[in-house]
Amino acid sequence: MTTQALELVKVSRRFGDLLAVDEVSLTVAPGEVVGLLGPNGAGKTTALRVLAGLLTPSSGTARIGGIDVQRRPTEARMQLGFLTSSTGLYERLTGREIMKTFGALHDLDGPALRRRIDEVIEELELGPFVDRRCGALSSGQKQRISIARAVVHDPAVYVLDEPTAALDPVAAQDILDLVRRAQARGKAVLFSTHRLDEAEVLCNRVVVIRKGKVVSEGTPEQLKTGHESITAAFLQLVA
Amino acid sequence: MSPFRILLHKELLDVVRDRRTLFMTLGLPVVLYPALIISMSVLIAAGTERLKNTELIVATVGPEAPALLKQRPVPPKTIYRPMSLEEAKVDLALQTVAAVVSAPEGAVDSLGAGKQAVVTVMYAKRFDRSREALDRMRPVLDSLNVELLQKRLDEKSLDAAFMQPVKTDPVDLDLKDSLGRLMAASLLPILLLTTLITGAVQAAIDTTAGEKERGTFETLLVAPVRPTQVMLAKYATVTIVAITTALANLSATALTFGFGVVIAGKSAMPVQFSVEQIAVMALCMLPTATLVSGLALAVASTAQTMKQGQALMVPVVLLGFAPAMVAQMPGIELTWLTSLVPLLNVALLVKAVILDTAQPFEVVLTLISVLIFSAIAFRAAALTFNSETFRFGGTASSGRLSLFWRRR
Repeated sequence: MTTQALELVKVSRRFGDLLAVDEVSLTVAPGEVVGLLGPNGAGKTTALRVLAGLLTPSSGTARIGGIDVQRRPTEARMQLGFLTSSTGLYERLTGREIMKTFGALHDLDGPALRRRIDEVIEELELGPFVDRRCGALSSGQKQRISIARAVVHDPAVYVLDEPTAALDPVAAQDILDLVRRAQARGKAVLFSTHRLDEAEVLCNRVVVIRKGKVVSEGTPEQLKTGHESITAAFLQLVA
Repeated sequence: MSPFRILLHKELLDVVRDRRTLFMTLGLPVVLYPALIISMSVLIAAGTERLKNTELIVATVGPEAPALLKQRPVPPKTIYRPMSLEEAKVDLALQTVAAVVSAPEGAVDSLGAGKQAVVTVMYAKRFDRSREALDRMRPVLDSLNVELLQKRLDEKSLDAAFMQPVKTDPVDLDLKDSLGRLMAASLLPILLLTTLITGAVQAAIDTTAGEKERGTFETLLVAPVRPTQVMLAKYATVTIVAITTALANLSATALTFGFGVVIAGKSAMPVQFSVEQIAVMALCMLPTATLVSGLALAVASTAQTMKQGQALMVPVVLLGFAPAMVAQMPGIELTWLTSLVPLLNVALLVKAVILDTAQPFEVVLTLISVLIFSAIAFRAAALTFNSETFRFGGTASSGRLSLFWRRR
């Protein structure tokens, strides 16, 4: 049996009377990009938070690299690169300091950490601003530092929660490039987005959720079947 | 490096670069307090000097008062002006005259006959000029009294000791130190608690609600660290900031008071503490800092924004200040019962240590009590910090409590 890089198995999460996520199951294999689509309030962020171990599921299991997130959260998170919709940077620290902190939290140390930081600086072209405090950076530069923070430990699994939602096209392109590079290096990527054009271009598969339930799953082409565009298909599914 | 040390380093770096926290922790005590107290001392000294150089009019009522006063030199910058009693009272109220000297009819004759004359000096206490006028007139009349007395004693061939067979000579060997101690016993508990709380509150809001507001909180929690480790690093940071704030304030106040008092031209009131006293106060500061830090973190962790955090902290600050004020009330002392009341026990212990009235049993009881309450505060902070409701606010829960916060 092939170990999935990322799994949600019949995951539900209830907040009082509200069932935010209802028996959602999905998998992402290494080298695969899966788009998680759904309107606002569909339960995408809740599902991703359960996956990252930030929220406890009411039922079901979340695994990263075969490790149960609830039972062994720190081990599971070692393999996770999580990028939130906000840049979420420490504005009083420099990009290098942030990478150093998060790299160290992922057990990187000494020369290995320095080498990895240098690699990320080169890959994401952070050189001109990596030693400036994040508060003084442009939104595009902040986004790149944010990506650097998420990938400094070279995770096997990328979880991106609406990463392009608040970005201009140039900054959004950085994210799309990141996803493509990650896929090429055999990383598993779960990508939550509203942008159907992005999903169509990037994803091997898409999972559509509505009111906490999975209503469709397949390749973008399969989703589009019988509709003039992926947007039309999506609107019909979530209507 | 352990996750705790990595996180602590990150938190401290973040706090040290926060201008607001830095100003509250170091800027305020090191710059503002000394500047404020020294400038006040200088202003008071300048005001006193100016008053001494102000020309004052002293009204003399009736023919006898000028006759008496002319026997002595007129004080500098003082003018005697004869007027009626009614006129003098009106002018005194209007402060066109600073004081009124009146002597009864026949006062000069009475004194010449070896009798007594009652000289009245009217003044208005609420006016600085009037008090200054009294200060100028008192030595004039006192010297007149001494001169007449000496003359009468000489006429009777009596020694000055005749007037005072038993002379009381009180010598307070530790007057200065006692005053200093009393001042310190009143000031230090208030200063200690308020600065610990101020420092803790500011740092707690920034490291919890501030993180949520800036969107870094979620980023931190998806790192491979246990929430308890994150919380512990924040707890240590808040405690360090609280202690630093308290130490900076105490040091700045101690230095400023000494310097300020000298500038004002008054004698200093030095207080020297023994090693044991300092040790007990230091021993007391650490658990107290952890107690207020835990309390501040527990409350701040429920807030989603800095603004919300600041609003929630108002009762915490008041709750912290109250014991310091209560400790100054008469009759409130460190007993086995008050040793168990959190924060009040600390304020009373500091007071008792300074006044050398602390008993070992009460010291130990206070420390144990503070440690227990610190543990409770830490537990409360950990519970709040780990709560999904408070961690993600409205998005994580539809419970009644989160709805309450959302409405704020």
